Amino acid sequence: MNEQLITYTLENGLTLLIREIHTAPIVSCWVWYGIGSRNEVPGKTGLSHWVEHMQFKGTAQHSASWMDHTIARLGGHWNAFTSPDWTTYFETLPSSALETALALEADRMRGSLFDPAEVETERTVILSEREGLENNPLFLLNEAVQLRAFREHPYRNEVIGAKADLLALTREDLYGHYQNTYQPSNALLCLAGDVDPEQALALTRQYFGDIPSQPVEKHIPAPEEELPSPERVELRGPGDTTFVEIVWRAPKANSDDFFAFTILESLLTGPSSLNMFGGGGISNRTSRLYLALVEKELSVSVNGNLNASIDPGTFIINLTKHPHNSISKLLAALDKEIDKIQTKPVPQAQIDRAVKQAKALFAYSSDNITNHGFWMGYASSFADYSWFTRYVERLAAVTPEQVCSTARKYLRPDARVIGVYTPNGEESGGD
Amino acid sequence: MTELLFSTKTLPGPNDITREEFSNGSVLLTRPNMSSPAVAIKGYLPPGSAAEKPEKYGLANFMSSMLTAGTWRHAFRELHDEIESMGASLSIGAGGLATSFSANCLREDLPRLLALIREVFSEPSFPIRQVRRIKTQLLTFLAIQAQDTAAMADQAFDRAIYGSHPYAIPELGFPHTLQRISREDLEDFQQRYLGPKGMVVAICGGVLPAEALAAFSQTLGVWVNAYQQPQPELPPVQALHGIIREHVTLEEKSQTDLVLGTFAPKTTGPDYLPAQLGNEILGQFGMMGRIGESVREKAGLAYYAQSELGSGIGPTTWQVIAGVNPRNLDKAVALIREELARFTSEPVSEEELADVRSALIGQLPLSMESNAGVAGALLNLERYQHGLNYYRELPARISSVTREDILRTAQTYWQLENLVIASAGVALS
Repeated sequence: MNEQLITYTLENGLTLLIREIHTAPIVSCWVWYGIGSRNEVPGKTGLSHWVEHMQFKGTAQHSASWMDHTIARLGGHWNAFTSPDWTTYFETLPSSALETALALEADRMRGSLFDPAEVETERTVILSEREGLENNPLFLLNEAVQLRAFREHPYRNEVIGAKADLLALTREDLYGHYQNTYQPSNALLCLAGDVDPEQALALTRQYFGDIPSQPVEKHIPAPEEELPSPERVELRGPGDTTFVEIVWRAPKANSDDFFAFTILESLLTGPSSLNMFGGGGISNRTSRLYLALVEKELSVSVNGNLNASIDPGTFIINLTKHPHNSISKLLAALDKEIDKIQTKPVPQAQIDRAVKQAKALFAYSSDNITNHGFWMGYASSFADYSWFTRYVERLAAVTPEQVCSTARKYLRPDARVIGVYTPNGEESGGD
Repeated sequence: MTELLFSTKTLPGPNDITREEFSNGSVLLTRPNMSSPAVAIKGYLPPGSAAEKPEKYGLANFMSSMLTAGTWRHAFRELHDEIESMGASLSIGAGGLATSFSANCLREDLPRLLALIREVFSEPSFPIRQVRRIKTQLLTFLAIQAQDTAAMADQAFDRAIYGSHPYAIPELGFPHTLQRISREDLEDFQQRYLGPKGMVVAICGGVLPAEALAAFSQTLGVWVNAYQQPQPELPPVQALHGIIREHVTLEEKSQTDLVLGTFAPKTTGPDYLPAQLGNEILGQFGMMGRIGESVREKAGLAYYAQSELGSGIGPTTWQVIAGVNPRNLDKAVALIREELARFTSEPVSEEELADVRSALIGQLPLSMESNAGVAGALLNLERYQHGLNYYRELPARISSVTREDILRTAQTYWQLENLVIASAGVALS
């Protein structure tokens, strides 16, 4: 495998990254736009995600079914994701069909129609998507907690948007957002797989080279380094299970603190998988919180989630309360473990183990070409590709003292939001 | 034949798959991919939930969860410390006919991980404290699942279509049956049924066949369970008669989930491939096929609406599933029935057939781009007795399916007066 990354920037500002991998006759083509729910303003939440849906609805040149059927006929798969920081589109298909993917992506970079009737049909589809999410208590709990984890920063909003906004957004809102932000200068094209770089560059020039770039106007929110205030959110709903979500501020991805926090997360709640498209994860049954909470039958499960983001984001711990125990005992045991990692030196052997796990996860991700395409763009959204290639090395450089100091800096009891979902008819918090 | 965009030699075949039968009744399939040190292991072995008695439904799944809860050599924490310290993973679960497992590790850790897999299968200690803890976890999972509209619609569908057949029972069992299961039940079930006779394992990735064979032959290849009994035979399913309508009421839910369907052709039978192509047209191709076009794209009624064709050794089903706003449920059912009526009354178009032939053939290399994908594909070769050349011959077989084959299959299996329609969500108005 050629580890080298090839980078070009076209005259219109489009950046092209190529990673040659010739293990299978497959290529994964990704276009990343520097736009997401982070750039949305109050009253217009859900705009980026809805625009993403409209990108599958056809252009002046190609109908929606042409786009869809062309990829499917090749046996390829395609999809798109909207996150707080970015919106991305990808196709993974036989490498001989690279030109089809590039032609399609270039066409919908500027040529999507946003037909008014299609906009209305998609409104109900997105409302239906949101209704599906609302069926899950964990979505409702997360939505309530995130709103309190930021004063104004759009990371407080769910990417799909608030229901009131989804009912009010207009075709003009969507098309204006698209026209403004889907520009070569706001995009990154990533190609991973069985490609010839010279041919890929020629095709990129052919399809994207003539697309003009206008200045992009987007809302850049002020980062919020601290949580507004400690809070407890109580939610009620159907069911028999009590869920707890605890949120702290987390460092931005492109910072030294982030790598120390990654080790901290690994020790507390288990290693995070790097793999968006399979490849395998590692369980967390020997993590400190599993042993202290699940093994001790205070909680039925524990999961941690640290996201790599442009601005300081959140570290989330999700717990499912044990039916025969109480929230107060559960939180007391959690605090005890956090206090321990803040005050007692972490053995170097535990850091070495976390690094070995990260190495293994890295290897698992590397047998999937689609994962490579994802990581090239994802890492570039908040740093550059070397963030990904140097990931294990930077984890290995974390010291025991850094882990403790990072825990003291971020995991403070006066700087967290606790959310509790209690089943209807049960005492609040199950205490 | 449909034009190929890749060489079939890139697919697993007799020249790069090593298959070995062992005297304990197990089979190993292995295929190297030396581009990275990552190794994927997948396997299945008896028993499944079909071997359970009614008063102990959920026993197979409970037993599979307990296998990694401690052995006579390693307590829970020691066992997981070994696995997680290697950066490896091991998960085990039970289906209707088999216990399945899936693992990942780096090349240098393969012998150790296979030794641990053998240990958890052959020497689980079922510590009483872990039995209690995992029982609570399973009961909590059932409580969470009881609020999941998709899971509840699916279970209502299974109950209605399978009737008295064991597949009508959810593999996790029920709260009252789980409560009855004791440590002794778990141990007895494991000793009686869990064994190497009928075990198939695939090892794929950064390991040479000789290394994989050597590691397997010193571990799972020499495991013996002298008490292993065959599982009870599955009874036949009863044909559907009439429309069976089931609804599970769950309060305060924004979305209703719908499952509508019938029995599928036998996975190893001649109708399966035409059904597979037909299913692509009905509810998979592109943005969820004809069903997606009608229910999502044109009517905007659902975020997802698609068809699914089951596969397996036992009986399986052919379903259409959708998630809709409760007030749109009847409209969605009507649109789906319209599409099924069209599917069973007129041949698919030449263009549709060409599209799905091309799609199914093109998906072959993509479905095997990862080690886990190849391992899963190798298991299916053995499960369905396809032969090692199956994937290389499949493009030609797909190309030979005709429009008439698809219509005949659709008419045989989709009889619109004999269907199960199940849903879960707020009360029906």
